[in-house]
Amino acid sequence: MSALGGPKQTGGVQSPTAIGIVISIVLIIVALGLAYYLVQMAGVIALVGIIIGGVLVAFGVHFVPVGGAPAAMGQSPGIATGVAMLAAGAGLAGLFGGAWAAPFGLAVALAGGAVGGGLLMAITCTMVNVIYIFGMGIPAASGKVDKDPITGDTFPEYKSQGTEGHGLPFISWIGGVVGGALGGLGGTLIYLELLDIYQAQLPVLLNATVEQIAPVAISLAGIFAVAMFLINAVLAAYNITGTIEGPHDPKFKRFPRAIIAAAVASAVAGIFAIALLELVGVF
Amino acid sequence: MEEIVFGIGITALAGALATVAGAAEDTESDIGSQGDPNSQVQLAPQMGYIHRIFNKAVAGEPPAYGLWVALGAGLAWAFMAMQINPILAIVLGSALAVFVQGVYATTAYLGRTASLAKFGQPVYIDILKSMTTVTMAHAFVAIFTTVAMCHLMISALGHPFPLPLLGLVWGIALGAAGSATGNPFYGKERQYQEQKFGAGVPISASGNIVRYAEAGQRNSLDNGFFSAKLGGPASGICFGLIVFFELWRTVVFEELNIWGPIIVGVVVILIFAIIDRYIEVWARKNFGPYTTPEEASS
Repeated sequence: MSALGGPKQTGGVQSPTAIGIVISIVLIIVALGLAYYLVQMAGVIALVGIIIGGVLVAFGVHFVPVGGAPAAMGQSPGIATGVAMLAAGAGLAGLFGGAWAAPFGLAVALAGGAVGGGLLMAITCTMVNVIYIFGMGIPAASGKVDKDPITGDTFPEYKSQGTEGHGLPFISWIGGVVGGALGGLGGTLIYLELLDIYQAQLPVLLNATVEQIAPVAISLAGIFAVAMFLINAVLAAYNITGTIEGPHDPKFKRFPRAIIAAAVASAVAGIFAIALLELVGVF
Repeated sequence: MEEIVFGIGITALAGALATVAGAAEDTESDIGSQGDPNSQVQLAPQMGYIHRIFNKAVAGEPPAYGLWVALGAGLAWAFMAMQINPILAIVLGSALAVFVQGVYATTAYLGRTASLAKFGQPVYIDILKSMTTVTMAHAFVAIFTTVAMCHLMISALGHPFPLPLLGLVWGIALGAAGSATGNPFYGKERQYQEQKFGAGVPISASGNIVRYAEAGQRNSLDNGFFSAKLGGPASGICFGLIVFFELWRTVVFEELNIWGPIIVGVVVILIFAIIDRYIEVWARKNFGPYTTPEEASS
């Protein structure tokens, strides 16, 4: 406890509380139980896939270097936009690629989703540096570390006066690509799991063939995948609070809390997505 | 083979449409001052700097464009279901989506600016009249090209997503690419044009944005004119490259091997890593440090 009686100062890294973990585990078990009750083993497998996908998204968001408003003035390093938004852009581009490759099987689709998300971030991060360097004449400098852990470049002397750094150092570039890839992977996994569930349930419910219900199943799975993606990206953004430079940023260490939250959020939201058709069938 | 050639043609067309979309999107958001630099437009009156800059940042660019493009795509999809010619359907859908953007821009400007009344910032009706239509025109270009690109992906390349969902996905990606690339140029280079070139804006200068132009007070049309020179085209190239490589690796290499697009994607990422590292080192070498290492470490 500090002198003011507030919680102990831990440099922004707060480990999850015991009660939080217990409630999370209970919620996840309840969701898994419901999934088993509604769709038997297929439901449990799908929900586990959705939880893993959600956790991957939330973990991936922590890698993405986001500078927010200060980055737009060259006052802090990172990409000048919001955490959830940028991650969503990358993850959804990954989902686009993953959904396209879905007929070739799980492994190809997941890899396609990951590469799609990584590709968007690779191009975006490179263009950010192009603008900073050729448009504004500002070299990249991190504000959180003195040396790039990958290239060994030193930063303090390249940081302009009165700022916390600017641009995207190479470690942040790598973080962006890894984050985009994890986001694309997670988003695609959620999509594929939901697609499996809907493709199994819809023909029975609507008394139609798999080909006939394909557009409905793909649309539903796609919309839910986008929604679950945004839920997890926003949760991770709340955990980050504002800006992050990438995996070398001290804020990165906060990720365990986001992973627990994402697992619970994905389980609860996922059970609604899985139970949707059961509920439609009831009414 | 013919199918691949056709696919490459569609890929090139989609990439070109995306390039135009990215450029229009960034210019639109800079005229409307919607990106992160808008924090300074909102802050300036609070620091005593009254200005005539548009102010419609009540949503980030990605969700806003997600909404407008999904709306345009959804309406176009509905019109196509009514057997209306696809091009006409896309134009009609985009035009209707632009009206929503216009309403959004008007209410956002009035709301955001009115909230600054206690700092003496007036709501300029002439700004509303002259600039809303300009942002709407740019938004139309961005929405139309993105919806047209999504339509090509479905009808010519066979993507499984329905048009409205694809509109949402690529609308959000468009906003993400445009805001990431274009924002620093508008924020640092334009709003803080008086600050030193080649250095970040000191935090102490926050809110002191440039408010006077060559003649009279600066407005957001001047900002659009400026960012259309580099920020807009760079955003266009960014989004165009994303769409082009995303489609190209699938269209060309999927026929050879189902893992082909993934391997090519990884190779493209590595190439961009080399380009990025090269320009980073180039900048360090050519611009040099701001201070000597000894001073910095002291």
